[in-house]
Amino acid sequence: MIEVSNLVKQYGDHYAVDHLSFTVNEGEVLGFLGPNGAGKSTTMNIITGYISATEGTVTINGHDILDEPEEAKKCLGYLPELPPVYPDMTVKEYLFFVAEIKGVKREDRFDDVMNAMESTKITNYQNRLIRHLSKGYRQRTGIAGAMIGNPQIIILDEPTVGLDPSQIIEVRDLIKSLAKDHTIILSSHIMQEISAVCDRVLIINKGKMIVNDSIKDLSRRMSGSNRLELKVKGSAAQAKELILGIGDVESVDVVGEEDGIVEMHVYSKDTDVREQVFDACAGAHLPIYAMNLIEMTLEEIFIKLVQNMEKEKGEEEK
Amino acid sequence: MIAIYKKELRSYFTSMIGFVFVALFLVVVGIYFTSYNLVGGYANFDYVLQSIGLLFIILIPTVTMRMIAEETKSKTDQLLYTSPLTIEKIVLGKYLAVYTLFLIVVAVICFYPLILGQFGNVDYPLAYANIFGFALMGAAYMAIGMFISSTTENQVIAAVLSFLVFLITYLMSYIVQVVPSDNLSAWIIFSVLNLLISVVLYTSLKNINVALIFAGAMEVILTALYLLKPSFFDGSVVKFLNWFSLFERYKAFGLGIIDFASVIYYLSLVFLFWFLTVQTIKKRRWN
Repeated sequence: MIEVSNLVKQYGDHYAVDHLSFTVNEGEVLGFLGPNGAGKSTTMNIITGYISATEGTVTINGHDILDEPEEAKKCLGYLPELPPVYPDMTVKEYLFFVAEIKGVKREDRFDDVMNAMESTKITNYQNRLIRHLSKGYRQRTGIAGAMIGNPQIIILDEPTVGLDPSQIIEVRDLIKSLAKDHTIILSSHIMQEISAVCDRVLIINKGKMIVNDSIKDLSRRMSGSNRLELKVKGSAAQAKELILGIGDVESVDVVGEEDGIVEMHVYSKDTDVREQVFDACAGAHLPIYAMNLIEMTLEEIFIKLVQNMEKEKGEEEK
Repeated sequence: MIAIYKKELRSYFTSMIGFVFVALFLVVVGIYFTSYNLVGGYANFDYVLQSIGLLFIILIPTVTMRMIAEETKSKTDQLLYTSPLTIEKIVLGKYLAVYTLFLIVVAVICFYPLILGQFGNVDYPLAYANIFGFALMGAAYMAIGMFISSTTENQVIAAVLSFLVFLITYLMSYIVQVVPSDNLSAWIIFSVLNLLISVVLYTSLKNINVALIFAGAMEVILTALYLLKPSFFDGSVVKFLNWFSLFERYKAFGLGIIDFASVIYYLSLVFLFWFLTVQTIKKRRWN
């Protein structure tokens, strides 16, 4: 369906996208994760033909986006980071305009527009000027625009940004219903969103791919990683050494020290180390002031992954 | 293309820009018409159109400045460039819409000679040849304005740049009178021009070799021509600069002459700047 191979986008010496390759199969929902500036939007802009890659190719349904742009773009619906809406149009006018430039046949336009408005629940706002709409409704108008023409592939760049919690749930449901007969790529930095709707997740950082995994594998990875927030009375060096001495502990970060109380983050894999930490602290007469087990969020997993990536890189250089 | 055309035209009239442009233009023409023809008692409508040059070059950028720059700035271009429409068609649709605005003005102006006809003998062919030339010159200037709008995402910069470029073409017939006409200065002027083109070439291609080879080859040709056949440079600077004098061509229409060369000249400018606009947009995607 979508084949991205060896994609590079270079701005001067800076690589926005660095040799990225992946494929999206028909009917699949792919989640695109990464921090700001990771290259998510750039990659999406290249796939949709808005900007050109320095190297590499993008093939959509067998059509190269550069060689046969018209054919390739006909299969696509795209919602960029900022919904590309014209403030001086009404919602209805805008959607009819989108239908027209996408080459929807005259007799199908009305149904298409009505359908898109209904799915995104903006039918009641159809005669409002987009200028007067809130961010959330502009976003919905943008999503409706991406649905027009019933393209096989829908690409959504952070579709839930700027929406309130109930709208977020609605949009997620909408994406789920679209997923039944569309191939979807969506980007986000919110884990629940990805795990709620996606089959597969792609994590990128600094233009490089870190993870390309199914959701199941990733959530296993997630539950396997735990973080312990720990407050101990004593000196930082002593406490760190002591905790690191526990076999299952992977790493310890000292995050603060105040009035002789050290605050640390203890990372472990798979095992719950609370009892071992208690025993160790009791043995060394370091009173525990607080201990709290926290499951790692995506951001933290992500930061860990990035740190690991950079550590490996540093070791390679040595 | 028709979708873009309709959308652009509608946005001119929902955002008031269109009304303001047409109204201002008609006010300007009306003032000259009243003072020359009605109060002054001249039956020559061509005086009016020949005189509004400076105001003309101020008015055109007010509508052309937003053509591409606004979409780039507000990122609505993402919708257009990711749609199945080609950039050629998008740009053409936009250009035709802005030109329609100008044609509305021209259509109203077409009535003025008829009004004059109520009071005496009017040379209609002369008047309408003028209006025809005026419409062509407007087409060329709007294409240039559109091109400038595609080079920046700041509308104010686009407007100021357009005005400067238009002003230079407007003043070209005066500039031509002060340029030296001997062959040595012609050689120097063309060499400097060659250098400028090479710099532009380098900044757009980022390839020092191509720029150097181009500059070197052109310089060798220029110098060889200067040494072997200096007569080639006779009056060349004036001829060259006159090529940019859009108003000079229009003056021929003021004499009632529909010069075929001038018609081709204006139309090829439209084509050239439409092409350059398309290329600028395409090139931006590669940066």
